[in-house]
This record gives sequence, C-alpha cells and structure tokens, in this order.
Amino acid sequence: MNSVLRAMRIELLTWPASLVWCWAILAVSFAVNLALFGIIHNNMTEDPTTGGVASIYLMLSIISSARIAQFFPFTLGLSVTRRAFYAATTLLLLGESLAFGIGLYLLALLERATGGWGMSLHFFQLPFMGWHNAAAQILIYVVPLLVVGAMGTFAAVIFQRWRTNGLFTLMLGTILVLGGVTALVSWRQQWTAIGNWLADQSVVALIAGWPALLAVVLAAGGYLAIRRATA
Amino acid sequence: MNTVITARGVTKRYHDVSAVDSVSFSVRENGIYGLLGRNGAGKTTLMQMVTGQLVASGGELTVFGERPYENAAVLSNICFIKESQRYPDGFKVRHVLDSGRILFPRWDDQLARNLLRDFQLPLGRGVKKLSRGMRSSLGIVIGLASRAPLTLFDEPYLGLDAVARQLFYDRLLADYSEHPRTVLLSTHLIDEVSDLIEHVLLIDRGRILLDEEADTLRGQVLTVTGPSSAIDELTLGAHELYRERMGALARATVRGPLDSSERSRAESLGLDLTTTSLQQLVVSITRSDAQPKETAQ
Repeated sequence: MNSVLRAMRIELLTWPASLVWCWAILAVSFAVNLALFGIIHNNMTEDPTTGGVASIYLMLSIISSARIAQFFPFTLGLSVTRRAFYAATTLLLLGESLAFGIGLYLLALLERATGGWGMSLHFFQLPFMGWHNAAAQILIYVVPLLVVGAMGTFAAVIFQRWRTNGLFTLMLGTILVLGGVTALVSWRQQWTAIGNWLADQSVVALIAGWPALLAVVLAAGGYLAIRRATA
Repeated sequence: MNTVITARGVTKRYHDVSAVDSVSFSVRENGIYGLLGRNGAGKTTLMQMVTGQLVASGGELTVFGERPYENAAVLSNICFIKESQRYPDGFKVRHVLDSGRILFPRWDDQLARNLLRDFQLPLGRGVKKLSRGMRSSLGIVIGLASRAPLTLFDEPYLGLDAVARQLFYDRLLADYSEHPRTVLLSTHLIDEVSDLIEHVLLIDRGRILLDEEADTLRGQVLTVTGPSSAIDELTLGAHELYRERMGALARATVRGPLDSSERSRAESLGLDLTTTSLQQLVVSITRSDAQPKETAQ
C-alpha cells in the first residue's frame, strides 16, 4: 500500500495543473454558451440545451491517457513497480471522477436554483439525465467520467505495451466486435427486442449502471496489459 | 560478505537474437563495479533485468536474494540512472528532487541540494529545457542522493564535459566512502574510471568475458613488444590474450604476473615489457574474442 501511495504522490506533483486545465476549459465552454444563448434564447421555442459539459469528460479522458504516457516511464525508471503505478493511477481516476462528478452535481443544483441561469438553459443538467435523488444524480455524473477516464487509460496502456500496432489492433478489434454484434442483431432481427430491453432500463441503470461494468472491464484489461509493459 | 546480485545463466532473447546470452556472475555488497563493453554488448539490457525493467527470458537472477521483477521490496533498494530516463512534461528540477525524496527511503536532501549547486542546476528550470549535459547531471544528482544500497549508472555522462565528469567521480567516491553501497557503473570512458572501479565485468555480444578484481588486473597484464619468435619463446604456456603483428615484430598482451627470472629472460630476448592499462586490456580481450588470434593483423 505504501508503494501505491508513493506512486500517487509522484502523480500528484503536477496534478494541480491538469486540474486547472479541466475546469478552465469547462468554464470557458460554459461562458461561451451563456453568452450565445443569452443572445438567442428569447427567439427559441424550446429550453436552450447544450452539450458543452462534454468538454470536461473529454479532458478527463485526455489527462488519463497522458498520465500513463508521462508517468509510467518516469516512475518505472525510478524503481516503482507496474502494479503500484497502475493501482495509484486507478485510485487517482476514481478520486477525480468522484470529485468532478460532485462538482458537476453542485453546479447542476445551482443551475436549477437559478432557473437555468435565468434563461432555462440546460448546461449541467441535461434533459435525458432526468433528476433523481442526490446519490443517483451524482452517480449519473461520476460513472461516465470514470468510463471515459478508463478508456483513455486503457488506450494509453495498450500503446505502452504494444505501441502503435497495439492501438491499431485495438481499433480493428473494436470495429470488428461492434460491427459483428450489429450484423448479428440485424440477421437475427432482434432490434425490437433490444429496443424493448433498453426501454425497460432505468435512466440510472443506462447512464451509471451498465457503464460501470464497462469501466471495471477496461480497468482489469489495463492491468493485464501493463504487467509486462516496458518504459 | 553478502551478495547483492546473483546471475546464473541469465539470458534475454529478442526473437532469434540473444542480447544477453547465459551470463553468470555475482556482485558483492559495497563495491564499485565497472560494467564495460562495446555498444550493443548487452550492458543496458543486463541492467534493465537487474532493475526489473525487463524480465529475463531464461536463467536465474536474484537481487538482494529475490527476483527483482515487480518486487517492491527489492526495487525500493535500487536506483537506476540511465541516459534514456524520461521525465513527465511540466516537471521542473524541483519535481524530480521531490520524486527522489518520495521514492527512495535513504534519500539525502542536503546532499541533493549540494550536488545541484555543484552541477549548477536551477531548481525552477523545466527538465525539458535542460541541455543534454544538465539532464545527465540531474540523473547523477538523483543517483547519488538516493543513497540506494544498489545504485546503477548506465553511461551517465552523456553531454558532460571533462570537469563535470571529474566532479561526478569525485562526489561518487566521497559519498561512497562515507556511505558504502554497491555501485554498478557502465561506461566507455574506461581510462577515466580505472582508478574508481574495484571490480571489472566485461561483457561482449551478451557474454561475460572478464570478471576480475581491478587490483588483480592492474599490475598483472603486460604488453610484450619485440620479435614474434622471441615472444613465442617467452609466452610458451603463458596465457596470451591478444597479439598484433607488424612484420617480424609483434605486440602481445599477456596475463601475468611474470616473476623476476621471466622478466630477465624477456630482457635477454630483447623484448620490451610494459604494463597494460585497463582500457588497452579491455580492447585486447574484446578483439581477441572477436577473431582467432592468428588472423589478427
């Protein structure tokens, strides 16, 4: 455990910078949307809705993959085990997702309290998310953060282990699996069944439940790949 | 005396090439070992296996009595300084120092700061903005200040001028005498370190050619110059390492020591005896291994 904490302290040395980047980009995205919809919302028939919050999800994915690329060769060179490094990185992502998710939840509360910033704007709370109890609502923010972070981490670990060929193979595999599943479902004419199944799922299960499983699978896959990776 | 590294038949294969080919050696506690050899001889690969960066394809390698790969207990006693060390973007010199303090249990911050001053490294400078030589210096600072019981330097001097290299050797020796530990230093600058190293490990094409105390080697290897036939007469039965021919004359590298009667016989045969420097010795042994003695030019 000590070696995991030590590895995490190394990763935290320049962490404030990445934290500032994530939230600064979200703030700029928010400001631009606020200005834009401030001008046009009077002419709109529906509540203004924007996907600007996606910027922080994208940023978390980027800093997660950058963290592997930057800190794995450094810490491995300074006698940190792959296991300790990966555990530290995973814990850090968990912490970040939780903190970011709670931050987004608080901003969503503020958004609702101010009547959508005085113009019914949906920036932090998007209509498809619905509005649930605090725990469920926080999970709706946290789990997708975790998933995009785990995707960034997984791709970066694949690159560390097998370089460019690994990434291409990963891409090829993803296309084949998704394409194969699509073809299979079409051939068996199961789209209606899948549509019904999806309709039966709650919003929380769709946004926070099943994706959590994906995050766990990605994290486990990353662990298997990094065990024999070199700097 | 305790053994720090034990290698038995350690091999590292890449496809059909053996970068390290069944090497066996041991490294004792508290000594400065020179790992010598040409480019591509297998020095870095060997060090990477010792430090758990790579896993051996075969053989048995133990460091502090255990396998080093993914072994946190063993690795916490190791500091590996290499030319190719990568640093995270945005890291300043002070972040690297912080990392050393966090990761190495025996880290000495005062020593690190003194060394930074000696090597004129500014704490606030970004690592990416350091010159080649300054980055080498930073590695040396980490390596020395870590006080790791096993410290490995893999050609740590790239881009360093002669003054800075001497500073490294001086500081290493000074700190080593106060805080004995095991140092494994790979280098091409053999003459520069010949007084520093206590033990020589010579590796070529993945195999150990020489594993000997430096003191033993220093007085014992001689270069004999003179007529080929006279050399043949002298070295009959002695261990000849390498011979160069220049017409009727030849120059042979011979493992001694020669006793006084042999010396006087050499003199009477008109042969010239000189002691061989460590660098000459390494060159001779490596070349004699690369080609049959008789075809040597």
